Amino acid sequence: MPLMPRLVSLFRNLFRKDRAEQELIQELHAYLELMTEMKIKEGLKPDEARRAALIEMGGVEQVKERVREVMIGHYLETMWQDVRYGLRMLMKKAGFTATVVATLALGIGATTTIFSIVNGVLLRPLPYKDDARILTLWQSRTKSGVQREDVSPANFTDWAERLQSCEAIAMAEPFGHSMIGDGEPESFRSWVVSSGFFDILGVPALHGRTFLPEEYEPGRSQVVVLGYGLWQRRFGGDPNLVGQQLTLNGQPFTVVGVMPPQFQYPPGRELWAPRPPRENDRQIRGATYVKVIGRLKTDHAVEQAQAEIDSIARQMAQEYPQTNSNVGALILPIREYLVGHVRPALLIMFGAVCFVLMIACANVASLLLARAAERRREFAIRAALGAGQRRLLRQLLVESLLLASLGGGSGMLLSVLLIELIVTVNPGNLPHLDRVTFNGSVFVFAGVVSVLTAVISSLTPGLRIARPDLQETLRQEGHTTTFDRGRQRLRKFLVVAEVAIAMVLLVGAGLLVRSFVALLRVDPGFTTDRALTLEIQLGRIRAPEQRLAFMEQTLERLTQLPGVRTAGAASAVPFHDNQVMIPTAIAIEGRPQTLGQEPAAYVINVTPDYLGALGVPLLSGRTLTPFDRPDSSPVVVINQTLAELHWQTTDPLGKRITFQTFGRTVTCEIVGVVGAVLPSGLDSQPRPEVFLPYAQSPAGGMTYFVRTGSDPANMLEAVKGRIREVNPNQTFSSIATVEQMVDRTTSQRRFNLLLLGIFAGLALVLACVGLYGLISFTTAQRTHEIGIRIALGAERRDVLKLIIGQGIGLTLIGVATGVVVAFGLTRLMGSLLFGVSATDPLTFALIALLLTTIALLACYIPARRALKVDPLVALRYE
Amino acid sequence: MKGKKTDLLQGTLDLLVLKALAPKPLHGLGVSRRVEQITKGTFQVKPGSLFPALYRMEQAGWLASSWGESENNHRAEHYRLTKAGYRHLETETEDWQRTSRAIASVLQAI
Repeated sequence: MPLMPRLVSLFRNLFRKDRAEQELIQELHAYLELMTEMKIKEGLKPDEARRAALIEMGGVEQVKERVREVMIGHYLETMWQDVRYGLRMLMKKAGFTATVVATLALGIGATTTIFSIVNGVLLRPLPYKDDARILTLWQSRTKSGVQREDVSPANFTDWAERLQSCEAIAMAEPFGHSMIGDGEPESFRSWVVSSGFFDILGVPALHGRTFLPEEYEPGRSQVVVLGYGLWQRRFGGDPNLVGQQLTLNGQPFTVVGVMPPQFQYPPGRELWAPRPPRENDRQIRGATYVKVIGRLKTDHAVEQAQAEIDSIARQMAQEYPQTNSNVGALILPIREYLVGHVRPALLIMFGAVCFVLMIACANVASLLLARAAERRREFAIRAALGAGQRRLLRQLLVESLLLASLGGGSGMLLSVLLIELIVTVNPGNLPHLDRVTFNGSVFVFAGVVSVLTAVISSLTPGLRIARPDLQETLRQEGHTTTFDRGRQRLRKFLVVAEVAIAMVLLVGAGLLVRSFVALLRVDPGFTTDRALTLEIQLGRIRAPEQRLAFMEQTLERLTQLPGVRTAGAASAVPFHDNQVMIPTAIAIEGRPQTLGQEPAAYVINVTPDYLGALGVPLLSGRTLTPFDRPDSSPVVVINQTLAELHWQTTDPLGKRITFQTFGRTVTCEIVGVVGAVLPSGLDSQPRPEVFLPYAQSPAGGMTYFVRTGSDPANMLEAVKGRIREVNPNQTFSSIATVEQMVDRTTSQRRFNLLLLGIFAGLALVLACVGLYGLISFTTAQRTHEIGIRIALGAERRDVLKLIIGQGIGLTLIGVATGVVVAFGLTRLMGSLLFGVSATDPLTFALIALLLTTIALLACYIPARRALKVDPLVALRYE
Repeated sequence: MKGKKTDLLQGTLDLLVLKALAPKPLHGLGVSRRVEQITKGTFQVKPGSLFPALYRMEQAGWLASSWGESENNHRAEHYRLTKAGYRHLETETEDWQRTSRAIASVLQAI
């Protein structure tokens, strides 16, 4: 009987309560009629008789109730019998049950774990009030293709005045607060935020409060709010901290509040201070460094806001042609900004783990199919003894639900452990990982998946055995089971499907491996081993000569430190995680400027030894020296990218460029060209850079780059000590070895690779187990036949070919199908790949070869076993 | 005593129903009338007790039911004893007699 009508009749059979109810009602009415007739015969009038009969009956409804109670009681009792029987059956074949439960647990556990990550990171609402209405606003560059960049204070001010779609808009500027007081001096990276910032996000403080409106006024703004992590780490979670004063940047600041742990906007810093409006807010239009958020007005849509800000940006391009001629605007809902970048990878991982679950299901179905063959006799006997088909099907359903609870329960336990592990390690720097927990939705998901998995896996074999052909089955002697063609075909199909899915996952993992290898082979342009970076702020030292003196003194002491090979410092170091870099327009002497298309470069202030410490090659001219003093002629060194961009055929040496630095306009001569470095990760692109001698332009924030002879981590305290000889209260931030920095940029790729690799491995193991199981089974069935063949003179080779041939046939079909499917699916992975195409033929070929070889092995083992059979025994085998 | 409603132990009720149905199949009302008859009016089985008992005994396999016509051409569910039912009646009767003999001797001894 085809599947659909079978399922329909199954449902109808299981839920036959309605019919029983109908029959009962009819019966009671018949009873009532008969009784009424009796009364009429006794001489009562018809309606009196009926009433009397009803009274004697005791009321139809009450009777129905009592029968219903007995019915339910009976149903539960038989259900309990089924459960106990099912458990007994499962215990009897403990090995079988364990395999099925383990397979289910693995599949369900992995899927639930990934779902919980997807749920915590992507699905759950953010901890900010009504987060669908919170927007982040960005500038974009229409000509150069920059999709989103920070905003300038002047543009923000104009937007704030003109934008109608938002009921409030605020900015956050990156800042630094150095604390001196009890304990080690420490530099905190912080945000100064404009009025309304906390209200837009709508999160109340955990202790204390956020800023009052008057605290955003100049002179009243020496208050701070701490983040939860900072409060715990540096202040030990002191509940009395609110109200106390801290000395920050030399001034007393009062702590007015501590935020709850989930408040992390903008991400990365844990100290907030008010930012009163400044006089030059309307003038700084070209430099972009603030982050803007806004709250959408109710019954306004994001598209409206985007359209409005687009037209405002166009207006401003007219009004300020010097700075805004190619400046557009982009609005992103806050959720998109915070987690949008991990969505593709997470969804791909979820798809992959669902594939693994499918393979696990197929294996369980295959196992149950094999078992079903054994149980045909059992069910035939029960049917012959009077069990209705309804009862038998219910038995199967109960058993599959038992498997679901055992498998699902273990799977949930497994996923709880895995979630714990992932949250602790946080291997891929996933955002909002703290919100990944095994919560209600995850539990429901796991439950649904368990039930569906178990029911689907056991339904197909079950439906076949619950309608046994009694005579046929009972007549069979001994333990041989019929070589049911249909069942065999189904198992073969399952194995082919498993191999295909495993192929897809292995190809995906292979592509990621090649991407990672390609990434690691990228030359970042400088030497990455054994170097240390520390960032300091020189803000309190105002005079340029003093700053220069400070840097020269500290660097001299550092270079003298045993174990230090070279040391330098720069205002921006590659791969550093807090680079706030904005390009500066440069004017090249002798070339006309086109408005809106000025050449631009990133200007970095460096000490003389920095480029040498970094390890970039000098390509022409000279590097900077200590002789480039404030009073000598202004010089710069440029990198290769800038040279190739503007001086393809001529020599840049000797040419002069003019640009703004720290409010001054300078014209410098190019004296050298160095190699380019990758600025922010192995997959980033080199950008045009100009290196300015520190002596000629002392910046306030510098990062030391110290090349050491041995392990840089050991040198940290010594380095800090030497610097503190010049300023005992020096605070440091962003301390890392260069290796750590490089690692950080590859961590997410590594996590993706690990996950997909694990899934592919699981898929491979499960598929091979499925293949092995099928081949063993069919080989065992054909023992008789093999015995005959050997007796008739077949060589070992021929028998091997026979058995393995069957397995290889299935494998090749599976691999071929997998290749086709993978071809279509891997293009979805595009954003995760590096240096290799989604349809890279080499990867496909290698993986196909690998899979076929391993499958061959899986077939070989049962084949060898078959050969060891004594032909005489085989011939007698029934 | 006519009209007195006495609580019946479930086992006792089963026994009476089995006994009532032993000679020939009956419908629901017929069973309750027969029980009243054979107990000479001591026990009157109301539908509230009868139908649950009939359902239970049918599930246990002692009764079988079928739709049939009663007198006056009313359609009603008719119940009859199965072979298992007859066997159960025998064993229950023996048990009951043994129990009542034991109780009787205890009462006499006082």
